[in-house]
Amino acid sequence: MASLSYLLSEFRDKNAVADAIRALRAAGAGDADIDLFSEEPVEFPRGVLDRPSHMSLVSVLGAIVGGVGGTAFVWYAQTNYAVPTGGMPVFSFWGTGVITYELTMLGAVLATFGYFLWESGLIRKRDKSAPVPVVPPECICLRVRVSGDVAAPTALLRQAGAISVEKKVPA
Amino acid sequence: MSGNANQPELLPYGKIREDLFRPLSGMTQKYFAAILIPLLIIMFGAYAWTVQLRTGMGVTGLQRPVFWGFYIVDFVFWIGISHAGTLISAILRLTDAGWRKPITRAAEAITLFALMIGGMFPIIHLGRAWYFYWLIPYPNMRLLWPNFRSPLLWDLTAIVTYMTGSAIYLYLPLIPDVAQLAEHSVPWRRKLYRMLSLGWTGSDKEWHSLERAMKLMAGIILAVAVSVHTVVAWDFSMAIAPMWHSTIFGPYFVVGAIFSGLAGLMIVMAAIRKLMGLEQYLTRHHFDNLAKLLLLMSILWLYFTFAEHLTVWYGNDPSEMAVFGARTRARFAGLFWLMVVVNFVIPFVLLGIRKLRSITSGVIASFGILLGMFLERYIIVVPTLSTTRLAAATSSSYTPSWVELAITAATFAAMIFLYLIFSKLFPIIAVWEFKPHPHEDEV
Repeated sequence: MASLSYLLSEFRDKNAVADAIRALRAAGAGDADIDLFSEEPVEFPRGVLDRPSHMSLVSVLGAIVGGVGGTAFVWYAQTNYAVPTGGMPVFSFWGTGVITYELTMLGAVLATFGYFLWESGLIRKRDKSAPVPVVPPECICLRVRVSGDVAAPTALLRQAGAISVEKKVPA
Repeated sequence: MSGNANQPELLPYGKIREDLFRPLSGMTQKYFAAILIPLLIIMFGAYAWTVQLRTGMGVTGLQRPVFWGFYIVDFVFWIGISHAGTLISAILRLTDAGWRKPITRAAEAITLFALMIGGMFPIIHLGRAWYFYWLIPYPNMRLLWPNFRSPLLWDLTAIVTYMTGSAIYLYLPLIPDVAQLAEHSVPWRRKLYRMLSLGWTGSDKEWHSLERAMKLMAGIILAVAVSVHTVVAWDFSMAIAPMWHSTIFGPYFVVGAIFSGLAGLMIVMAAIRKLMGLEQYLTRHHFDNLAKLLLLMSILWLYFTFAEHLTVWYGNDPSEMAVFGARTRARFAGLFWLMVVVNFVIPFVLLGIRKLRSITSGVIASFGILLGMFLERYIIVVPTLSTTRLAAATSSSYTPSWVELAITAATFAAMIFLYLIFSKLFPIIAVWEFKPHPHEDEV
């Protein structure tokens, strides 16, 4: 079985990082093998290191659950103890509209936040064996998971413009 | 002025970090004094509230038929101030306005604190505050009737949603900054920052997720913010009362909220700039842009006020004209015209004439606007209630008692107190956002 290791490389230029990622992917590395660490968000042109997300969908689903759940709750509470309303409906969508709207939004807020925590990995169990680089100011660190020989990916990283490349074995 | 001072993003990142993290460390005597004074005012306000709780609502100036007074004015005022932050920050973030960077966190913090303060008032106004949980709707098991048609219940859901959203919206961009502070030398701070940073490493997955969440939250929070003050307006306009039952009250209140919120933000920013020595980061450029926004809102406010009053005057309905008269040429005329002067005339002169526009004049105009918007809420609440419609009814004048005044003063002190604590715990300007954003280079 091929030995697992990590290559930690430092870059000063965003374009060099993009070149390194392209070269690594051409050499067979998958998106899951590549991680970038920086003190600020780094954005690349589409196709370099896309991180597809379902956050918008989750947000909409949260909104639907919030809105429907809130409306159902109001309906249940109103009909559970139907007070005399003088001929007016016990439950009315007009009267409930604001609550439906606010709970729709609350659902979207909570779903977005929850999914952010999940998607970013902040509340998930992490792979503690993977080394986390300390990013020097103005630098971007690229971490690549390599199984087997590291010579070829190291050369690719250096060729792309890495100022340093370091091999780390999982803790 | 040097180029760097005009564009603080061009300063070395190390210096930006040092400048913005510096105010967090060290407690000076001045800081303690600044904390102590508002704390004493808060304690006096808390004492006044205990007097009200023990004695009853009779200690307030509220009496038949004026059952809404300063507490409701305070409630509307603080909910309005809360629009400073999240709404303004969300608009600027969605439009990718570069000048927003040093403003957003300061603004978002205002929102959260103003909501905390404003949210207290329905409870204080209840009288028997210990029954506040009756406001929380739940299926009826104890013969309590949660009235979902009541705008007061709409308030509750709107404020809970807005406060939850605002807290998250403030917290999200704070994560990368507290992660940088996670190695702080003071043990309790280190513990706090580590807990709040949730183990943030700065990986691209985390950044992507954060940016996506921020964009989505900005959109959601905008919709919520508009709805919150609309619902506050509906507390009035759902009542068939003269000069309350108006279809434009929703947008009128939203405009007023943004207006007072911007004024509050201007004052807070000027204070932060001076007290924390952040002149290089909060530049004249930022104040100039805020002043222009303030001027725009002042004109919009005048437009809504004029539209509201003109239609009433033209309709000439006797009950409405009684309130209109009380506002514009009788008992409340002094307050009404003072409101027009401080909300429109002074800002128009100070902010509209370029030569007069400065940080100082902006702050003066903002203080005037805060006073004017407080008066506006007073003029909306009290004249309608104190002008009776039945011939047999006795009218009454309303004057706030010392209890109401003390509690109101305590809320202003609470805002200062909370802000001072917050600015000592967290960088008041988002450090990571200050670095030139990569995609901005490509535009």
